[in-house]
Amino acid sequence: MTSREQLAWAIVAAPAIIAGLVVLAPRRVVTTLAVTGALITAGLGLMLGVLELRSLSDPVVGKWIVVDAAGALLVSVVAVVGLATVLVSPAYLAGADSSLSPAHRQQHTYFAVLYAFWAVLLAVPLVGNLGAAWLLIEATTAASALLVGFSGKARSLEAAWKYLILTSLGLGVALLGIVALVAGIPGGGIGALSWRALSTYSSGNQSALVAYVLLLAGLAAKIGWAPVHNWLPDAHSEAPPPVSALLSAALLPVVLLVAWRSEHALAPVIGVRAGQDVLIFFGLVSLAVAIPFLWRSLPWKRLLAYSSLEHMGVISLGIGFGTPLALAGVAVHIAAHAIAKAVGFYAATPLVEHEPRATEHAVTGIARTYPALGGVMGISLGALAGLPPSPLFLSEVLIVAGGFEAGRSWVAAATALLLALGFLGLAHALLETTVGKARRRDGAHPRGRRTLAVLGGTSLVLLLGLSAVALWLPGSGFVDALLRGIS
Amino acid sequence: MSGGLLWILVAIGLAVVVIRRRSMAVALVTAQALVLVAFALYDAKDGEDVVAAGALAVRAVALATLFLLLVSRTREQRPVHARVPPPVRAGAAVAFALTLTWLVSTLGLDSRDAERAVLALVAFGIVTAATRRATLFQVLGIVLAENGLALAALELPGGASLTIELGVALDLMLIALVAGVFHERIFAEFGAGDSAALRTLRD
Repeated sequence: MTSREQLAWAIVAAPAIIAGLVVLAPRRVVTTLAVTGALITAGLGLMLGVLELRSLSDPVVGKWIVVDAAGALLVSVVAVVGLATVLVSPAYLAGADSSLSPAHRQQHTYFAVLYAFWAVLLAVPLVGNLGAAWLLIEATTAASALLVGFSGKARSLEAAWKYLILTSLGLGVALLGIVALVAGIPGGGIGALSWRALSTYSSGNQSALVAYVLLLAGLAAKIGWAPVHNWLPDAHSEAPPPVSALLSAALLPVVLLVAWRSEHALAPVIGVRAGQDVLIFFGLVSLAVAIPFLWRSLPWKRLLAYSSLEHMGVISLGIGFGTPLALAGVAVHIAAHAIAKAVGFYAATPLVEHEPRATEHAVTGIARTYPALGGVMGISLGALAGLPPSPLFLSEVLIVAGGFEAGRSWVAAATALLLALGFLGLAHALLETTVGKARRRDGAHPRGRRTLAVLGGTSLVLLLGLSAVALWLPGSGFVDALLRGIS
Repeated sequence: MSGGLLWILVAIGLAVVVIRRRSMAVALVTAQALVLVAFALYDAKDGEDVVAAGALAVRAVALATLFLLLVSRTREQRPVHARVPPPVRAGAAVAFALTLTWLVSTLGLDSRDAERAVLALVAFGIVTAATRRATLFQVLGIVLAENGLALAALELPGGASLTIELGVALDLMLIALVAGVFHERIFAEFGAGDSAALRTLRD
């Protein structure tokens, strides 16, 4: 077993063990244990990312474990977002007035389920088998549904229920696609579903394409692609803010990676173009469906949720274009979206303390009444809108250029037009939210002003760093590794 | 699997779509799963097939116990009205099943009849979840669809896939447990396990 394989097992084992320890720990040490565990887990995740960067030409492709460029990128993203989520969670819990569990077990339940969710999220990019990936994705549904409904309030129960039912049905359809794949792969059983074995499908292109479409149509419900995205705005807006960050910044792209790997693995059977067409279809539809909502005056977290729909569409288009430029854009987009979106959701906790109407109404002029909070929200929304020098601006340019490079001029042009419309919608929301007309507020600033300053500063540095990476990435060995995948 | 047995599975599935009482629907999906267990045991070629059948049986009994417990703990004053009347539900289910059969040319299973039955059960499950207001029925819709997937796993060329059966069993029990937690909370919050109360989040 190589050091990267050992590290991959450790990355999944660490949060799983901590989830168990949190349940048993005395109440006074739960937060300390959770924060310590988060530092360890994130450290392991980032270490794997660095190791993979140094061995890009030699991915680990085992029976159960895969460590490649795309997987390492996602593990690093999930590790960083998970760490930040754990760090901001105590502030959320301090203000939480109700939960699914009894008050004296609230922290235990929250952190145990959060760590279980985090462990499964870290496992998905590392798993070497489509069947196992499906099981892990289904496990994320169970854990994250409990977190979405954690407050136990009527609205969060509604969101959690919709999420559970819709994504479970979607994953059922995905499983039908997987069963259809098993039927056509010599040997059958779980071994037939290893990423490399998928290309040995031998029951004909047409039936492989049917299985692939069923698989992606099912995964679409979990990724939040339109037109099966109905749960997404509800779950993201009603979950505790730290959990919303993990759902949007980590869960959606992690499941998208499974769709990407499936497309890559099945390309020799169904044809490269056919596989990419399905991704482009979902990407374009998601982008088109999201835009009108970005123009509307929506509550903060709901606006961010629709922005997730837009960005999952953009990433899907980039993967569908499949050229070096587009994949460089995809890598930057996944990382930058995660940072900008997570920061936006973290800001929701102090926002609701400062402006309780924010859960159900659009907010305006926050920077006028609480500059630090307005600044953080501005950084998040500005980056998500693609306002230069946001790395998301550069990644979108790369993806559109990749579309032209792939010879899909009409799709690339439509993407550029939709992105421009999305930019205008979010830019308007940015102005209204930060420097628009302010409502009269009590003037009481919530706790955690220092946390906000750290959050804003760190995210700004990371986002600007990613802008620099976006300029360097095209033509790099990392993009070559993304193109090769695990083949 | 014989055509007659496939028809029985599909007929039970259609009954779940139209039936009014939750406890009867639980009994029907359990009976359907037990028919699959019986076939799996009859068709077993080695120890692995027997274990796969065992997993299916454990899942059927565990889910039945869980659902009946939920029914007894959340007694409704009167059954929750479905959004759509039974004949329309049945018509929609059959139409959706036929559409799926037409769209999905092949799944690569042992027989086309088995493929049609699998697609019909998945369609019936989706229609049940989409057209029933009672929260427990929506979960039963998922179970119905997963029974179809269990049938697909049994009808794979070369026999049942132990991994798929185990995976589906574990996954379904996990999801059903979480759904049970939420069903009880929804009942406590709204006084009924009625998803019509869950329609406040809109844009």
